[in-house]
Amino acid sequence: MGNVLIQSVIAALLLVMTQVHADNTIDKNPNSVELVDTKQIITTVDVGVLATRGVFEAKQRWQPTLLWLQSQIPNSEFRLHPYTLAEMETAVKQQSVDVVVTNPGQAVRLGRQYPLSWLATLNSKLGDGTHVIGSALVVRADSHYQHLVDVSGDKIAAVASNAFGGYLTMQLAVQNQGINPTAFFADVAFLGFPIDAIIYQLRDGYVDAAVVPVCQLESMLEEGLIQQGVFRVLDDVSPDNFACALSTQLYPNWSIAKTSAISAKLAKKITRALLALPSDHAASIAAYSTGWTPPISQLSVDQLYRDLDMHPLQRPWWQEAAVWIKKNQQWAWVVFLFVLLISVYHLMLEYRFSRSERKLKATLNRLKEKNAMLEHAQRVAIVGELGSSLAHEINQPLAAILNYSQGGLLRINKGADASAVVPALEKIQQQVKRADGIVQRLRTLINKRAVAKSSCDMQVLLTDTLELLEYDFQQKNITVSRACFGNVVALDVDIVGLQQVLLNVLNNAADACLMRETSVPINAEISIASQYSDDRLILTITDNGIGLTATSEELQNAFFTTKKDGLGLGLAICRDVVEAHHGHFSLAPADPVGCRVSIHLPLPLQ
Amino acid sequence: MSQEFVTGLVSVPVYVVDDDESVRDSLAFMLDGYDINVTTYAGGPAFLDDAEIMQPGCVILDSRMPELRGQDVQAILTQCHSPLSIIFLTGHGDVSMAVDAFKSGAVDFFQKPVDGEKLVQAITIAAEKSLVRSEQLCALLSYQSLTEREHDILLLLVQGKRNQQIADDLCIAVRTVEVHRSSLMKKFNAKTIAELVLQYGLAIN
Repeated sequence: MGNVLIQSVIAALLLVMTQVHADNTIDKNPNSVELVDTKQIITTVDVGVLATRGVFEAKQRWQPTLLWLQSQIPNSEFRLHPYTLAEMETAVKQQSVDVVVTNPGQAVRLGRQYPLSWLATLNSKLGDGTHVIGSALVVRADSHYQHLVDVSGDKIAAVASNAFGGYLTMQLAVQNQGINPTAFFADVAFLGFPIDAIIYQLRDGYVDAAVVPVCQLESMLEEGLIQQGVFRVLDDVSPDNFACALSTQLYPNWSIAKTSAISAKLAKKITRALLALPSDHAASIAAYSTGWTPPISQLSVDQLYRDLDMHPLQRPWWQEAAVWIKKNQQWAWVVFLFVLLISVYHLMLEYRFSRSERKLKATLNRLKEKNAMLEHAQRVAIVGELGSSLAHEINQPLAAILNYSQGGLLRINKGADASAVVPALEKIQQQVKRADGIVQRLRTLINKRAVAKSSCDMQVLLTDTLELLEYDFQQKNITVSRACFGNVVALDVDIVGLQQVLLNVLNNAADACLMRETSVPINAEISIASQYSDDRLILTITDNGIGLTATSEELQNAFFTTKKDGLGLGLAICRDVVEAHHGHFSLAPADPVGCRVSIHLPLPLQ
Repeated sequence: MSQEFVTGLVSVPVYVVDDDESVRDSLAFMLDGYDINVTTYAGGPAFLDDAEIMQPGCVILDSRMPELRGQDVQAILTQCHSPLSIIFLTGHGDVSMAVDAFKSGAVDFFQKPVDGEKLVQAITIAAEKSLVRSEQLCALLSYQSLTEREHDILLLLVQGKRNQQIADDLCIAVRTVEVHRSSLMKKFNAKTIAELVLQYGLAIN
């Protein structure tokens, strides 16, 4: 799959390149016709120059050189085109210029992308004459900056992100000092050409430092544009014979190159004329030079681009990767298989994870179910034990009372004196007191559970309770709907008790739904409505189950039940708890079937 | 309340064994109304120690008592061939408990609280049964005390043989038969042959 993708990308690239080539051929034709057929006619040569300090300055600097060339080459006309970096690149790409004069940075960039032939390098009166390009980091003289590192992260102005003297050389110098260039130029502003503007911005305090090509400051000083002593250059490393301040190493001077648009013959003529330009000629002086020398090596510029990881011949990473894959197919396959293996493994893990998750959920549900069963069994056991011991305790005095009363009656029937019965009656009283004592003890035992009332949002309690029953309801296919009206207010309640009430009522509703005849095709539903009014909360729980079959009197009694294994205590407990909250608990039939439980609870006073 | 039972029909002692004082006292009070005198005991050991358990009588037993359960008391009485009739009166009886009690020879089984009249009826029946049982036990004891020769002679007497025939059958003197015969009559406490046969019947029953 990967291979197919790479192949298609390569095919697309080839297509684009072929088209570019075709364009070139079309453009070239008229020019060559002009050259061959009209020897007598004036040959026009378009010269693109990099206008670092603006169009006017560029014309001033280079027009004399063009005039010199024109004078040296008969029947020729040299036209000057001042360009910015981007315009120059476009011009070369579109073959609209025949000769380019540019700084080493762009020279190398263009030279590695387009067919340029170097004709000569400008010779300077500075240093060794050929290496005169670099950057100066300029700050205001009165600022506290002493070294490059001090400026790191502050406001810095530079020419452009691809400007050679105005940025790139500085970037490498910073990198070579072990400073992270990204951090150093964290707040950089690219102001473009003309460079003079950058110095003015620095002077006016808009920026803290400026990166400018070497000699920019000196040129402006010489021209009287700025004053002496206002600026200084940080970390000046300029050699002894170098007149300009410098913060970086030096790179080759500007060069002149021909594009493929002009003939080698004409190029030869131009080169000869340039090399013949005397160092003291006006054209040389205007170009701040001492004439031209044969082209010198631009290795150092190549190295700079490589060190900054932006060499024009450097292929993008994906192209490199494609090449590597082609070269090392076996390894590519290994990697591909490895990734495939990892993916399969991942899927397997995912599958197993989801399976065990399901298992876990099922186990959890089983656990809940068991827990519910255990709770029920415990409740039954407790009530059974309580009932049994209660029955025994109460039974003894009852038996005694019966015996005494029968004995007494017998004596009265036999005509015995009333005094014979008195002891029996007294003993009956004692036994009644004993029974009453048992009942009292039981009552205090039941009431012993301390009722802790705390603030509680009934909606949260409802949610918690429904969560407990969720699985059970799911099993029984019961849908629960909830609604809430009015402003929800927190209540001071016995949370455990009220939860017991809710559990009882909801369980009861669910049981009622199950006890309904299955032939009736309606879905089991329980709806819960909470209505908050000014002074009370009315909680209504309605089911569509079998409804009420007992009389209201029967409902009042504890131990009354219609369920097979019921204890008949649920309703009594609910009523007790709600009444302990000064509330009201009631049951009513619902329409058309089912039962509606209403719980009224008073709200705390605002 | 019917008047029929307001009599002292019961001629055997009646015991009440219950750990609850109020139950003991009230039972005694009620049964006193029926002219039945009862002796009460607070537990099994006291009852076994003090009561004349080898004499005919009736005992009303509670089942759940701290020292000795009613069932245990019943087991001990059966073991030592007591003629006492047992009526269970328990606070928490169930079917299996009742079945066990009847299988072990209890006369009746009641749950508290009990109706006095039914209890008195049961006591009356129990007293009769106890008397019969006592007689049976008596005859059995006499029968078991017979010598081999007396036993042989008894069997022949029951067949209706005269002294001479017995003497001939056993090849002994008539006088010897007469001596054994009078010893038999004494042991069975019988005055006539008919009484002797009756006792024999009780013993082997």
